[in-house]
Amino acid sequence: MLRTMLSFELRQQLGNPVLWIVAVVFALLAFGASSSDAVQLGGSIGNINRNAPSTIVTLLSGFSSLSMLLVAIFVAGTALRDFDNRTAELFFTTPVHKRDYLLGRFGGGLFACCVVMAAVAIGMFVGYFMPWVDAARMGPHSAAPYLWSLFVIVIPNLFFIAAALFCLAVTTRSMLATYIGVIAFFALSAVMETLTADLDARWVGGLLDPFGGQAIINATRYWSTVERNTQLPDLGGVLLLNRLIWSAVAAGLLWLAYRLFRTDREGFTLRRRKAKATAIDLAAPTPATVPQVTLQTGSGAQWRQFLHQAWFDTRGVLRGAPLLVMLGFGMMILIISLMFTGQIFGTELYPTTARMSQSIAGAFNLFLLIVVTFYAGELIWRERSMRVAEVTDAFPNADWIPLAAKLVALTAVVLLFYASGIVVTMGYQLSKGYTHLQPLLYLQQMLINTSGFVMLAALALAVQVLSNNKFIGYLLMVVYIISRIALGILDFDDNLYRPFGAPAVPYSDMNGFGHFLPGFLWFRLYWGAFAGLLLLASLLMWVRGNRSVLNERIKEARRRFGIGQAITAALLLATFIGSGMYVRYNTKVLAADPPTNEYLAGDDALDRQADYERAYRQYKGDPQPRITSMRSDVDIYPAERRVRMRGSYRLVNHHDAAIDVLHVEIPRGLITHSLSFGEHSVELDDPIQGVARYRLNTPLAAGAELNFDFDLEYFPRGFGNDAGPTQVVENGTFFNNGVMPVLGYNESREMQDRNERRKRDLGDVPRMAKIDDEAARANTYLRQDADWVDFETTVSTSEDQIALAPGYLQREWTEKGRRYFHYKMDVPMLPFAAWLSARWEVKRGEWKGIPIEVYYHPTHAFNVDRMIEAAQKSFDYYNVNFTPYQHKQLRIIEFPGYSSFAQAFANTVPYSEAIGFVADLRKQEDIDYVFYVTAHEVAHQWWAHQVIGANVQGSTMLSESLSQYSALMVMEKEYGRHQMRRFLKYELDLYLQSRAGELIEELPLALVENQQYIHYRKGSLVFYALKEAIGEETLNAVLKRFLEDKGYQQPPYTTSREFLAYLREGTDPKHHPLIADLFEKIVFHDNRVKSAKAVKRDDGKYLVTLELHSSKVEAAGKGEETKLNVDDSFQIGIFARPKGGEEVDETVLYLQRHPINSEATTLEIVVDGEPYDAGIDPYNTLIDRDSNDNRRRVDVE
Amino acid sequence: MLAIRNLSKTYANGVQALKNVTLDIPTGMFGLLGPNGAGKSTLMRTLATLQDADSGSAHLGELDLLHDKQAARATLGYLPQEFGVYPKEAAYTMLDHFAMLKGVVNAGERREVVEGLLKQVNLWDVRGHKLGGFSGGMRQRFGIAQALIGNPKLIIVDEPTAGLDPEERNRFLNLLAEIGEQVVVILSTHIVEDVTDLCPRMAIIARGEVKLAGEPHEAIASLDGRIWRKTIAKGALADYQQRMNVLSTRLVGGQTVIHVLADALPEAGFEGIAPDLEDVYFGQLRAAAPAALAA
Repeated sequence: MLRTMLSFELRQQLGNPVLWIVAVVFALLAFGASSSDAVQLGGSIGNINRNAPSTIVTLLSGFSSLSMLLVAIFVAGTALRDFDNRTAELFFTTPVHKRDYLLGRFGGGLFACCVVMAAVAIGMFVGYFMPWVDAARMGPHSAAPYLWSLFVIVIPNLFFIAAALFCLAVTTRSMLATYIGVIAFFALSAVMETLTADLDARWVGGLLDPFGGQAIINATRYWSTVERNTQLPDLGGVLLLNRLIWSAVAAGLLWLAYRLFRTDREGFTLRRRKAKATAIDLAAPTPATVPQVTLQTGSGAQWRQFLHQAWFDTRGVLRGAPLLVMLGFGMMILIISLMFTGQIFGTELYPTTARMSQSIAGAFNLFLLIVVTFYAGELIWRERSMRVAEVTDAFPNADWIPLAAKLVALTAVVLLFYASGIVVTMGYQLSKGYTHLQPLLYLQQMLINTSGFVMLAALALAVQVLSNNKFIGYLLMVVYIISRIALGILDFDDNLYRPFGAPAVPYSDMNGFGHFLPGFLWFRLYWGAFAGLLLLASLLMWVRGNRSVLNERIKEARRRFGIGQAITAALLLATFIGSGMYVRYNTKVLAADPPTNEYLAGDDALDRQADYERAYRQYKGDPQPRITSMRSDVDIYPAERRVRMRGSYRLVNHHDAAIDVLHVEIPRGLITHSLSFGEHSVELDDPIQGVARYRLNTPLAAGAELNFDFDLEYFPRGFGNDAGPTQVVENGTFFNNGVMPVLGYNESREMQDRNERRKRDLGDVPRMAKIDDEAARANTYLRQDADWVDFETTVSTSEDQIALAPGYLQREWTEKGRRYFHYKMDVPMLPFAAWLSARWEVKRGEWKGIPIEVYYHPTHAFNVDRMIEAAQKSFDYYNVNFTPYQHKQLRIIEFPGYSSFAQAFANTVPYSEAIGFVADLRKQEDIDYVFYVTAHEVAHQWWAHQVIGANVQGSTMLSESLSQYSALMVMEKEYGRHQMRRFLKYELDLYLQSRAGELIEELPLALVENQQYIHYRKGSLVFYALKEAIGEETLNAVLKRFLEDKGYQQPPYTTSREFLAYLREGTDPKHHPLIADLFEKIVFHDNRVKSAKAVKRDDGKYLVTLELHSSKVEAAGKGEETKLNVDDSFQIGIFARPKGGEEVDETVLYLQRHPINSEATTLEIVVDGEPYDAGIDPYNTLIDRDSNDNRRRVDVE
Repeated sequence: MLAIRNLSKTYANGVQALKNVTLDIPTGMFGLLGPNGAGKSTLMRTLATLQDADSGSAHLGELDLLHDKQAARATLGYLPQEFGVYPKEAAYTMLDHFAMLKGVVNAGERREVVEGLLKQVNLWDVRGHKLGGFSGGMRQRFGIAQALIGNPKLIIVDEPTAGLDPEERNRFLNLLAEIGEQVVVILSTHIVEDVTDLCPRMAIIARGEVKLAGEPHEAIASLDGRIWRKTIAKGALADYQQRMNVLSTRLVGGQTVIHVLADALPEAGFEGIAPDLEDVYFGQLRAAAPAALAA
């Protein structure tokens, strides 16, 4: 019987044209994803092949989550088909077993979904063979990844979703409930993603994600390029467990469906009284008089009818259970995202209203899109599906009323979500003890963020009305969403073409909404008029009565298109075109003159970048004079966002020959009022690239000097297609000398992306000069036209602001309503300066007479004292262990959170409002990264501002890794050595994760080519491990000598190789293999405790027996690994914890280095107290891909 | 008076639903009788402005129903064949909503209208109950209340008694009879008794054409002395159908009784009976149907 049911069901499914249409659409999507170069889903970047197994797995898993919609159609739809077609009685009166009936239906539906997913796999596979796919990025073709994905991921996922939705459908007998189930899953998977943001909760996310995606991400998180190109994840551990758990849950749900399924009743109602027929029905009519009324149809009546209908529809939506369910899920997503986002090193930020109000939109974006689409369909079809339309369509009310009312109802849904979000976030703020709630800001953000959804609602209504088919309407919305993403990928990102696009409106406590609103509002007006036109079209095509045939609808539309409609259409069209032209004038004409806000599509910008390299690379190494002093008068006009820069460079020819051509580059977007530097003629002027070459009438002789004066202006006009540059703003200006002229060809302007280069025939990726390139040592890695310079600037700003720049304040005065500050540096400094202006409060501290000042936004006083303390403690450590601080003052300055970084200039450290200033450090156990970042930036005053590397491999190790090390030491002094592990774990995680994203090749630390994950993340680990091995004093002595010898050096500049020579010289040769491992190789350890036992001896001491495993491999640049022999010494530690204590409470019972020279080692150690856990390399100082197994709980007998 | 002239409608699938329909419908109840698929609903919906005719006209007095749609809607009360409500709304709120949409925007007026109508259709006592719990008859009475909002001059009621039990049907027809005195009420139905009981005038429509229009008693009178009845054996029916104009067959107490139309006694065993409207109706249907299909 089951076979009969199943084959009946399969015939039904395979004969269904919808199945084949959906299969073809999905296969085409997959084909597009695999054959289009623009799509980079699935992590196929850099060196990872387009058809790498890991990419195929990711893509197919992604499609399997999308397939929830399929399951809703094929499985849930099948489950309900007999009830919808009223054929249920027919089946249930035949002797079909309930089990066979259900399994037949379920199996058939599941099979249909599998057919679609097989089509996806085929579409993907075929896509890779297309002739236009870059063959250089293809690995060998194999069926294995497809089969693995289908059987490990896709089919179990389909089975689970199918079982869940089937259960929901047969028990509720409601498609609506099923759709809500789908939405609930989307919400859940969003939650899973945020959960895994927390390092220690990852395995939880891996188990809980029903789709197995998180488990795969966890399993492949630390994979290198080679592994990604050749391997499939191991089917074991959390992944296997996940698959088993969810398959079991699916089987359980299927069983539940079977148990709850009743052939004899209309679905399953939970404690809901079924509405009984009303009994009261008196036979005798009540005498009644119905008053005579005249029906009103005037505009006043229409308005009141509209309000009434809007209220009625809104009430209908808001009262429904589906909305409450979705609202619940929406709030769940929001709360989880509030709890887990914004953490840095696991430490939270204060829930400032600025951040909270932006996180509401962030949390709801996708979810609300689905909700609006869903309710647009429900609302448009409400009257007709309830068969009320036959009545109301014959009423004398105006045609526009129902459509307008539905727009109101949808808007109400959006506002309700947003308002609930506000209540939740306010509650969250209060729960964190944060009381500066700023309701007005919430309201402003609500208006800004919901306006897009109202336009989206208009679109969703329009597609429903125009298509006049609910399913097609939904499908069109899906197509809209996908095409929006596709447009972005294909670089059609002009907001004039991208439906409902508008530039972002970043909010900052310092600068408020700044200057971003006008551009945003113009774009909103433009697309708002478009949405109005859509609504008007919907109004004309609105189906009233039985006119659903197209030519009847057109006839009706003609009849409706009266003078009022014509005027409205004309006004909307005029607004659309007019605002479009104004926007275009701003974004294309004004913003391009000067081209400060200029809009270029992504690939056009890359083409321009390529042009620069092609045209001017010939001038690389062309002898140019060097800048020896920089003087400037900088006038900042914050309200106008304008800066006038009059400056003067002193140039010297250090070359042996005379220089006859000056190669000057001034960033595009600046207005050049004048340049003067002696008599010259213009040899080349390329305003597009901002490059000019001037032939000096009198060549600059060897050793001769020349003044180079410039008068530049930054003055953006109009608004851009995106938020545009944020350096010069009303409150919180921060720009550096990147806006001033640079001499010579600028290598940093070259394109780094290998694939983009290949498309443009640019040859191999430009790499940093090799470490033994002696010629490259003529420059630092900062710039090619200056060494140490004299620096002096006078900066002015509006009367209510302070203006800052490196150097010491010489004089401050006010003149004609403007404030002037004259700064001068007393020693030569790096050619790296910043100018800042804002309304700050100032907090002053000092260290041994050196003033420490923090300039901060008045409401951001939280961590100012901590910053001062960090600076003091940094000075304590660095002055004692390294060399004396070279400046007489230190300033830390807050700038708006449009970017989140801190940067060290001489005696001046700009620090973003988005990171340290609003970090919530009230929890004692949290990592105090404010302290850490401050210490890091202060360390740069030594590492970069005293010693700076040449423009060759390894130089950023000297500034960044050594600053990391210095800051770690200040941290260690503050928090204790045993606290470092928690922090270093984050560094290790980030290092290991980022390796796979390597675009060129991973290099050992000493040869780092400005790769952030190496010089920051690995740098911290390497120097800390080195310190642990050779001792803090030895290392600091080496550093001190290095600083003394190489500080303020003239070319040739130092290199990491010179540093390693100092290091080897200053350490016992027994450490030299370790130094090679750490700095000159990419080495991974696999240290773990296999067993740990302890026996209490009679003397009260404990004998601990440890079985240890230790091995190591060396990786090449793309991850190929070769095994190395273990011959090292590792720390072995045994720790005690008070009962119920955490890691922070632990005490060290034993900590010694032991030589280890084989993979398996057994150690016996006697300790005084009862051990809690023990470990090899217990503080995770070495790079080990599984850091948790370095320690193990001790079994005490 | 409602004057319908030469109304024709052909659907996109080729079905000709109305063929040159011409009817004069005076004030009072007017029965529109026809089998399922005869074109009744098309005619009703066209008059109710819910769809367009291909040609022809319909005037209510001076008012052009087909072209002046908004004015037509303001004079119209329409109870469609499949009348739906929101099951979770109470009768009062729903009727209030309908009254608002129909144009009774003044709150005080609307309260009086809704109250009066609910009392008139005898639903006042259940005004607070959800419509989902209403019986078929109550729902149809609610439908009539809705159609009566704003004192319509033309009331169109499409198949209102289908599915009602006899008691509910009676109550509903009484209600209709009460209101059918001053205005034009078109009652479309395939149940002959509805018309017999209620309508002073009627028309029979089949395959899109008006077969007969006039007063029921005149139509019945035209068959005087021409209807014959006989109780026959079950197996003999086909034979009779071939030989005679069999209007209807009916089972009475398990035996087959046939009515035959003939100017004189068809054969022995038949008895002459007084014709009724049903004979008229079936007579018209037989005439309209091709002979081979007559059954």
